[in-house]
Amino acid sequence: MADLQIRDLHVGIEDHEILRGVDLDISRGEIHALMGPNGSGKSTLASTLMGHPAYEVTQGSIVFQGEDITEADPHERAKAGLFLAFQYPVAIPGVSVANFLRMAMNAKREEPIGVKEFRTQLAHAVELLDVERSFTSRHLNDGFSGGEKKRAEILQLAMLQPDVAVLDETDSGLDIDALRTVAEGVQRLHDEHGLGVLIITHYQRILHYVRPDFVHIMLDGRIVLEGGVELVERLEREGYDQIRREFGASEAGALAGEGGG
Amino acid sequence: MRSPVRAVAEADVAGGGERGPASEANAAAETDGVRVKPGRHREATLYKALAKAGARDGRTLEQLRADARRAYDALELPVWRRSGFWTTNLQSLDLDALHSGPPPAPGEVPAVVSRTLPDRPRAGRIVQSGSGVVHVELDAAARERGVILCSLEEAFAEHGELVARWFSRRLTIDRHKLEAANAAFWSGGAFLHVPPEAVIEDPFEIVYAIGHPGLAQYGRTLVVGGQTSEFRVHEYDLAEDFEGQALHAGAFELYLDDGARCRLAQLQDWGSGEVFDASTRIVEVGRDAYCHWLPSLLGGHLVRQHLELAVSQPGGDMAFRGLFFTEGREHLDAFAVDLHETGPSGGDVHWRGAATGESRASFEGLIQIDPGAQQTHTYLQIHAMMLSPRARVDAIPSVLVSADDVSASHGGTVGELDDAAIFYMQSRGLDRPTAVRVIVEGFFEPLISQLQDEPLEELVRAKVARKLAAAHEDIETYAVSR
Repeated sequence: MADLQIRDLHVGIEDHEILRGVDLDISRGEIHALMGPNGSGKSTLASTLMGHPAYEVTQGSIVFQGEDITEADPHERAKAGLFLAFQYPVAIPGVSVANFLRMAMNAKREEPIGVKEFRTQLAHAVELLDVERSFTSRHLNDGFSGGEKKRAEILQLAMLQPDVAVLDETDSGLDIDALRTVAEGVQRLHDEHGLGVLIITHYQRILHYVRPDFVHIMLDGRIVLEGGVELVERLEREGYDQIRREFGASEAGALAGEGGG
Repeated sequence: MRSPVRAVAEADVAGGGERGPASEANAAAETDGVRVKPGRHREATLYKALAKAGARDGRTLEQLRADARRAYDALELPVWRRSGFWTTNLQSLDLDALHSGPPPAPGEVPAVVSRTLPDRPRAGRIVQSGSGVVHVELDAAARERGVILCSLEEAFAEHGELVARWFSRRLTIDRHKLEAANAAFWSGGAFLHVPPEAVIEDPFEIVYAIGHPGLAQYGRTLVVGGQTSEFRVHEYDLAEDFEGQALHAGAFELYLDDGARCRLAQLQDWGSGEVFDASTRIVEVGRDAYCHWLPSLLGGHLVRQHLELAVSQPGGDMAFRGLFFTEGREHLDAFAVDLHETGPSGGDVHWRGAATGESRASFEGLIQIDPGAQQTHTYLQIHAMMLSPRARVDAIPSVLVSADDVSASHGGTVGELDDAAIFYMQSRGLDRPTAVRVIVEGFFEPLISQLQDEPLEELVRAKVARKLAAAHEDIETYAVSR
C-alpha cells in the first residue's frame, strides 16, 4: 500500500469546486511530478493535503500510512510525516530560523532534542542548502529574498525529515543557481533518506535537476495523463495546449461531466 | 515664537475612526503588512506633557504635603477623556473605603514578591508593602562605591540636602485627586543615589507590592544618577490575586546628570484583583546622558500611566520602549511623552501592545519638541495586536513641534492574528495554541530582547505566555468567528 493514498478527491472553496476527483499514490523513495497550467488545481491539492482550513473536501479521502487524515488538523499531518514546502512562505517575525526549527522538531518528539544533536543536524542542513551559518539566526522568512525563502523551506524539510514532502512550486521565482541548490538538496534527501516527493510545478526546469519516477498532468481539477519522465519531454515539445486539446474537456463539458458523475 | 502645531494621526482599527488622508502611519503599516486605518487630524486637548511644571519651587516637604492635601480635598476622582476614543474613569474607585493600613513589620515581604522576582545577582533591593518599606538590601561593593539606597522617608532625614535638590523637581501635586493624594500622603518610598562615575552592573530592584485588598498605596520613588554614572533600575509593581479593590497611586522621578547612562525597566502586574493604578513617572536626561526605558505593563484592573521622558540638556539621547498586554476586563490608558527641551537631542519611541478578552488598551504617544530644541531627531512607532473580538486597542501617535530644524515622525499598526502564519506553523507540527503563542511572542520579542537582561526577559516572556494560555479559548472563538 502506498504511504500516501489520495482517492477520488473533490475539493471546493466557498462552493466552487476546484478538484474534481483526484487519485494519486505516493510512497517513500518515489519522486512524483505534478504538472499543469495555472489554475488547474495543483496548489489546491497541496494545500488540501496539508489541511488548509479554507479548502473543503466534499468527497473522497486522503490516507497516510493507513490513517485516514482527510479531516485531520494540519499539525497532526505534519507529525504523521507529511510536509509541505510553501509556494509563498510566511514571515514569522521575532522567531529565528533555528528556534523555529527546534520547536518544530520538538513537536514531533517525546523528548526535546539535545543541544548538540540539534547543532550537528543544523550544520548538515546549512551545508546542504549552501547558506551562511548566520542565516539560522535571522527571523524566519522576515525580509528574506525569494530565493532565501525557498532555501529556508528546504532547510526545514531537511531538518524535519518527513516521509513524504509536497513541494508547491518551489522552483518559481528562483534564479538558476538557487534552483540547482534547492533541487539538489531535495534529490539528496531522497537518495539518502528515502524521502517521497511530490513536486508541483508549472515548468519543466526543476525536473532537469530532480528526476521524477512518475509524472502526472493535471487539467481542470483532474489528473488526465500519467507516465514517466518522457511526459516531461513531450510537454516541452508540445506545451499544455496540445494536451488540453486532447484531454481537456471544455468548461461546459467538464461541468456537464461533473453533473453526470 | 511660532505657535505650536499639533498633528494627531489616529490608528484606530476597532471602530470609531474615520478614514482620512494617508499618513506615515499608513506607510508603516504597508511595510509591516498589517492593516491600519489612516486617521484624520484633530486637535488634542487633554493629553499634555508635564514639561517643567515641577511643584517644588522652594517649598519644603511639609508645605508640599499641606498644599497637596488642600488639592486633594478640593478635587473629585479623575476622569480622562480622549474624545472619540476612550474614557478612563476612576469614579468606580471607592476611595473612602480604602486605607493606608498599619505600617507593615520589617521583613514582612508579600509572597508575590519572592514568587515573582528572579533569583539573580543584584546591586540592591528595596521592597515596599502597603504603606511601608519592609526590606532594604544593598550590595557591599555598591555601598562602598557610595551608592545610597534607602526609603525616601529615611533619605529626607539622613540626606536632606541631596534629596531636596531633586525631590518633585518635575512632578506636580495637583493635576488630579490621586496625584494630590500621593503628594500629601506618601510614606515609605524609595531613594536611590548613584554617585558620579560609579558604574554598577547588576540592577537595583525597587518593588511596590500590595498584599491585601482595601489598601491604598502611595508609592514615591526618587532616583538620581550622578555624572557619568552607569546603572540599571528594575521596578516591580505587584499584587497578590485577591478579591476587592486596592489602589496604587505612584510617583516616580529619575534624574540623570551629565553623561549618566541608565537602563530603566518596570514590570507591572497587579494580578487579578480590582487594583487601580494612577501613576506618573518622569525621567530627565541631562547633557550627553542616555536612558533606555522599558515599562512592561502586564495587568491591572484600571491603569492610567503618565510616562514622560524629557531630554533637558544638549546631547541627551534616549530610547523609550514599552509593551502592554491587557486581558479580561482590564482597562489600560498609557500616555507616553518624548519631550525635547533642547537640542541637539535624540529620541526613539517604540511601543507594542496586545489585548484579549473584553479588555481595553489605549495608548497615546506624544513627541513634543520645544521652541529652540533644534537638531532634534526622533521617531515614534506603536504596534498593537487584537486577540479577541471584544477587545479594543487604540493607538494615537501625535507630534507637537515648535522648532524648525528637527525631524520627528511616527507610525503605527493595529492588527490581528495572521491566519496564514498560523497555518504555516501548523504545517510544521505546532498545534494552534502554540502557533498563536509563537506569533504573539514574536510580536513582543523585538522589545523584550532589548531588556538585555536574561532573567527579566524570561520573566516577561513567561508573563506573556501565561496571559495567552489564559486567553486561549477566547482566541479560538475569535478565529472561528472570522
